[in-house]
Amino acid sequence: MSAFAAVTAVLSVGMITYASRAGLIIFLADRPLPPNITRALRYVGPAVLSALTVNLLAGGQGIDGVEFVEVAAVGVAIAVAALARNLIAALAAGMATLWLLLWLL
Amino acid sequence: MPSADHFSETQTRSDIALSALRAAIPLFIPAIPFGLVLGVAITDSAMPTAVAWSTNLVIFAGAAQLATVSLAATATWLTLVATAAVINLRHVMYSAALSPRFNDQPRWFRWVGPFFLIDQQFALTSVRASMSGPAWRRFYLSAGVFYFLAWTTAVTIGLVVGSSIPTEWRLGVAPAIMFAGLVALGLSNRPGIVAAVVGAVVCLLALDAPNNGGILIGAVSGVVAGYLADVTESRRTERRTLASDR
Repeated sequence: MSAFAAVTAVLSVGMITYASRAGLIIFLADRPLPPNITRALRYVGPAVLSALTVNLLAGGQGIDGVEFVEVAAVGVAIAVAALARNLIAALAAGMATLWLLLWLL
Repeated sequence: MPSADHFSETQTRSDIALSALRAAIPLFIPAIPFGLVLGVAITDSAMPTAVAWSTNLVIFAGAAQLATVSLAATATWLTLVATAAVINLRHVMYSAALSPRFNDQPRWFRWVGPFFLIDQQFALTSVRASMSGPAWRRFYLSAGVFYFLAWTTAVTIGLVVGSSIPTEWRLGVAPAIMFAGLVALGLSNRPGIVAAVVGAVVCLLALDAPNNGGILIGAVSGVVAGYLADVTESRRTERRTLASDR
């Protein structure tokens, strides 16, 4: 990626991030969002983050880019996050699983 | 005895700033590993390091920054921006929820304040109902500036440490683990699980879509599925309530 493309991408994402935080505060103060929109927005987090996880695991190489050890690491992290409700523990368990499997296999 | 959250008009500016710091620090601790992971991802990024680091100052949103620097290698400008826009949709919710608190604030603060609206900032400032006017503004800005400096420091440490870690450690997998952990942490009800599973499966099926379009196709499918599951579930609950009333 060229420096110009990178700067353009970062500035664009910066503007979009600011707009999503500031839009309603600056322009729509005191007018609530329609309840249906609020309801749908609740599911943006889980939907986009899980799609992003799958995409990062593939690393731009389609289904061939998905490696067993990485899937196992992510699976363990999900289990630990769900049970322990702790992101640090999930990251540690995921990386430990990855290293253990890489060493074993 | 007054609680730590109670503010009177007589409190000095530094009292408010101090109590903002005291409340902000514990919430920041879980973000430290995220910042370190982002720092490492910056060293791995296809972007020039300085540009990837500048996301701290320009974007200041962990998940959007991590997506931007780690997708740079494979995504086009359009996919990258669209993905970040979807990730940022939760900020629209924060913005909607906090907008009444900005009504009595000066115009400059309405423009400056939203920049600091990260998840922790929302959690911290949306509940301070006893504060208003200048006190709330001072509390908000103190916490916001703290998060901004602390976050940039954590990411920079990750960047410095990350470049000396051998590639065999596979730290490049950490962002995927982080996002998966965030999903699992946020799941509390069935529609949320439906949204996450549909988002992942559809993205997997759409991996060959051009320009990483699978992320968006997966995300949109997940949101629609979660919304429908939510509507179905509340209808079922309503019906059950009606039946038990008879």
